[in-house]
Amino acid sequence: MRLLQVSLRSLLLYSLILVLISIPISIFSIRQIINEEVDESLALHTNQFIKHIKSYEYLEDLEMDLKIWDQLSYDIVLTPSDIMSAGQKYETISMYDSIEHELHPFRTLSSNIIIKDKPYLLTIKMSLVDNNELVMALGIVQVILIVLLAAGLLLLNRSLSRKLWKPFYNTLNQLKAYELDKSESIIPEKTNIIEFDDLNKTISHLTDRNRKVFLEQKEFIENASHELQTPLSIFQSKLDNLMQIPGLTESGAATLLDLEETAQRMARLNKNLLLLSKIDNDQFNEVEEIDLAALTKKLLWNLHPMADLGNISIQTTINPLAIKANSTLLEVLLTNLFHNAIRHTNVNGKVTVEITDRVLTITNTGNPLKMNPEKIFERFSKEGRSENSSGLGLAIVKKICDTCLYELHYNFHSGVHTFSVAF
Amino acid sequence: MKILIIEDEKQLVKSMAQFLRQESYVCEVAYTASEANEKILLFDYDCILLDISLPDGNGLKILEKLRENHKTDGVIMITAKGSFDDRIAGLNLGADDYLPKPFYLPELSARISAVIRRKRFDGNNKISFHEIDVDLLGKTVSVSGKEIELTRKEYDLLIFLIANKNRVVSKNAIAEHLSGDDAELMDKFDFIYSHIKNLKKKLTESGCADYIKTIYGLGYKFTA
Repeated sequence: MRLLQVSLRSLLLYSLILVLISIPISIFSIRQIINEEVDESLALHTNQFIKHIKSYEYLEDLEMDLKIWDQLSYDIVLTPSDIMSAGQKYETISMYDSIEHELHPFRTLSSNIIIKDKPYLLTIKMSLVDNNELVMALGIVQVILIVLLAAGLLLLNRSLSRKLWKPFYNTLNQLKAYELDKSESIIPEKTNIIEFDDLNKTISHLTDRNRKVFLEQKEFIENASHELQTPLSIFQSKLDNLMQIPGLTESGAATLLDLEETAQRMARLNKNLLLLSKIDNDQFNEVEEIDLAALTKKLLWNLHPMADLGNISIQTTINPLAIKANSTLLEVLLTNLFHNAIRHTNVNGKVTVEITDRVLTITNTGNPLKMNPEKIFERFSKEGRSENSSGLGLAIVKKICDTCLYELHYNFHSGVHTFSVAF
Repeated sequence: MKILIIEDEKQLVKSMAQFLRQESYVCEVAYTASEANEKILLFDYDCILLDISLPDGNGLKILEKLRENHKTDGVIMITAKGSFDDRIAGLNLGADDYLPKPFYLPELSARISAVIRRKRFDGNNKISFHEIDVDLLGKTVSVSGKEIELTRKEYDLLIFLIANKNRVVSKNAIAEHLSGDDAELMDKFDFIYSHIKNLKKKLTESGCADYIKTIYGLGYKFTA
């Protein structure tokens, strides 16, 4: 759920509760106010009526006049009574409304008054607002209010999420697309919102620093590999000289050979690390048209002697294919895949190489992997302890495919390992 | 024959000089670019071994200077930077060969003799070892004047061994010379052994003395 939806949900809930609570409160307070007003005007009317009557007390047949007047007036009822003491009483009563044909609430003020020494009961009534109507009217107003509020909030929310959060989503999309080894740096949009600017600044800072560390690391690996080449050369050259010393014994020769094998292993490892970091550092960006079919044939032809040693047969189905690529990378890619196939084929096994529809497929017979197939392209994930293998060959293959956007797949099925590269 | 080694790593220079002197090369050394610049103007060398990364300058500048002064010394670039660009730049500037570190000294030796032969005889040349004659242009080998049939690998092997005559050459160095990177794939002994065996057989069958001596499984020595 989006952040704005969460806040909107709370806002809507709060408004709804508020509106619902406000309905009885408004009804109650409106009623109260109306009652007070009505009471006040009833008292005023009563007062004025009494005053008027007093000014007509000189009339002889006032009693008769009052009787007639009582019958004529609707709101005022004046009936003789026998209560001599003065007193007033407010009441709310229901009366039949002949126009609307229903009961209607009225407020009455009954006062005991004395006219010409005769006690009368004066009752003045005023119509009150119908409870049901009031509730209905208020309810309708509140419902309209709720609808308007909700619609307004939703619309506001939508435009806010579109406008206000735009820089946030921009930054988010940039972050999603960010790749440490490829992207330069994140350039966030300038906003007027402190939180977003803060976030953007932090992200820029973080990515810049990560990138710097990453570049330093890359450079370090390349430099380290470079620096190692010289001591390795010295080591090898000393061995070459040592072999020339007359009177070399058999055990001395064996030790020298072991030393040389080890030096070669180091050199190979170093060479592959250097290659990996060079691919990382984008040093193979020159692209030319390469006859992949011819290159494949050439490399395989060179490998025949090695394959023959293990009595491995190599079968090829190579259709013409030329691609645009960096020649060094492509040659390393093919060489590593072919080496891998031959190295892991069992004696008397079979390697097949096929190029069709821009896909290079290499299969070799062999034992199932002991390691997790997902780890096959990881650095230094070796199958068994082959001294001739640096454990970097397939990692380099993967790196090249990633760099050149080739699709690389591996699977193992009924004793056959299959690698495929779609160019 | 005079060789100038331009390289700042003293230990490496020492080993290279020690190895090459056995071949009766005269080795001179320049540890810095300025030393090298002085020497190349004063003397002529049959071959210059040039390290590209020097403490006081890029080796490519030295190459430029050589060409500016119309020097025809053979040049083999040696570099720790297996950089493709450097190689292209160097070869464009007239370097004759390129050897990335780390390398086998027998390989260096073979490259030096190839460069010197090309420079001296304009590519039209022969090398001989007792009754063996190799025509490098026609890529043919004859024993006592009688031509023998060798495969490409056997031919390369023979040249390599002759270039390193009287020296022990390890089978690793031979394997790398013959197969380059593919060498790491195989059991070297099997691979080298079959080639050595075939070459030996072809040479001795045509009446040649057996010059290829096996050194305890470490390697071989081509010696009379």
